[in-house]
Amino acid sequence: MKITKIELINICKVKNERTILKNVNLKIIGGKRYIFFGPSGSGKTTLLRLINRMDDPTSGEILIDGHNITELPILNLRKKIGLVFQIPVIFNGTVKDNLMAPYDIGAINSPPNDAELKHVLKLSGLNNNFLIRKASELSIGEKQRVNIARMLLNKPDVLLLDEPTSALDNSSATRLLESIMELSKVNGLTIIMVTHQLEYARLLGGQIIDIQDGAIINEQL
Amino acid sequence: MEQFNYSLININSFDLLIGLGLILIVVGLSRWQNLMLEGELIVGAIRTLIQLIAIGYVLKYIFSLDNWYLILSFIALMIIVASITVTRRQKKQTKELPYLIGIAITAGSGVSILVATQIILQIEPWYEPYYLIPLAGMVIGNSMNAATLAVERIDSEIKNKRTEIEAYLALGATSKKAASSCMKAAMRAAMIPTINSMMVVGIVSLPGMMTGQILSGTSPIIAVKYQIIIMYMIAFSVAVSSLILTTLRFRRYFTRNHQLIEEAFE
Repeated sequence: MKITKIELINICKVKNERTILKNVNLKIIGGKRYIFFGPSGSGKTTLLRLINRMDDPTSGEILIDGHNITELPILNLRKKIGLVFQIPVIFNGTVKDNLMAPYDIGAINSPPNDAELKHVLKLSGLNNNFLIRKASELSIGEKQRVNIARMLLNKPDVLLLDEPTSALDNSSATRLLESIMELSKVNGLTIIMVTHQLEYARLLGGQIIDIQDGAIINEQL
Repeated sequence: MEQFNYSLININSFDLLIGLGLILIVVGLSRWQNLMLEGELIVGAIRTLIQLIAIGYVLKYIFSLDNWYLILSFIALMIIVASITVTRRQKKQTKELPYLIGIAITAGSGVSILVATQIILQIEPWYEPYYLIPLAGMVIGNSMNAATLAVERIDSEIKNKRTEIEAYLALGATSKKAASSCMKAAMRAAMIPTINSMMVVGIVSLPGMMTGQILSGTSPIIAVKYQIIIMYMIAFSVAVSSLILTTLRFRRYFTRNHQLIEEAFE
């Protein structure tokens, strides 16, 4: 079943006695694009990490299609709601080796064939020649695309992107955002992206959730 | 046991003092080279003397009692001391660590000691201290060193590979799968010294137990057979102890829900 609604209700998060999120309420509708926008340290990334349970809130609850997130099988949840980190993480070996990771760790049951690998590469904006390239030798932008392609092999409904453009130059960032937009429009993925750059937020389109000092201060379309 | 026509030369107190003279020469060398190790050398030499003489008398007493629970208590004490020693060597000394080490060493060395004494040697009575205590001492000592390496390595690997582990978790891996490369590295680090010593034994080094048996008049052929069994016991105990320890230790970094525990990384 595809995820159609995520609700965050009275979410608070306290870390090391510091309040990171204060009473956050938010409704995410499947298939749409959302941008968590705000300055560094405002709680955007913390909020993002709660949605696939990399962390849990101190109080409040998250409902996925009406079910409490803590009652859902967590490994399956993380496959359905994929998180791509700000700094891309590359495993040893080629791009193909990296794309095999979801199978190697048991997230998917059968090894993806070449056609599937090429498909996710294409969706992420990379051509087939990348499969045999050594992953550690790619540019940051290419590594970020490999991270997205790797996540796509899990066939997620929701893609959480934590400042994916932060280490990229302007033209690479624009191209990456176009690929992400494509994933949303053509494949119907729900996109939630964190950024502190307004031009990128506008470029991706969708609803901008303005977060400051751990609280949502504005939601605009 | 097959003995040579040979009588062991006793070592008296004066002989021990001559041996101590070698240490005094090293102290002189240290001062000459400005190594600043004189204090530690003297303390080390005195501790060696006192600890070994004391243990000699303790063993003599235990052997004379012929009492199985005292012998097992003595072995348990060895494991407790080993567990505390390994814990003290760690940068991050958590409350549960000595217990984890105790469980790991008991399991690894326990099985190998049981196999050696009850199946291979079939000692009579089953707790015969002349066999049980030296064998236990050697196996526990080696497992202790392996445990030190295993804990150090699993801690440093998990801390250094935190971002990689998180990436695996985000892909839907269990915490065990996400940390599996760290666990393998820790087990390898713990086992490599034992494997290396198996490679060179008899060529580069003559082990202490074998040397001791030969000195006390045992045929070298019998002594090497004992040594072979000991080496296999150690390899087994080191492998099982480090496997159990890494499996128990990695859990402190994760919640049951496959999330990283922030405090464990501080």
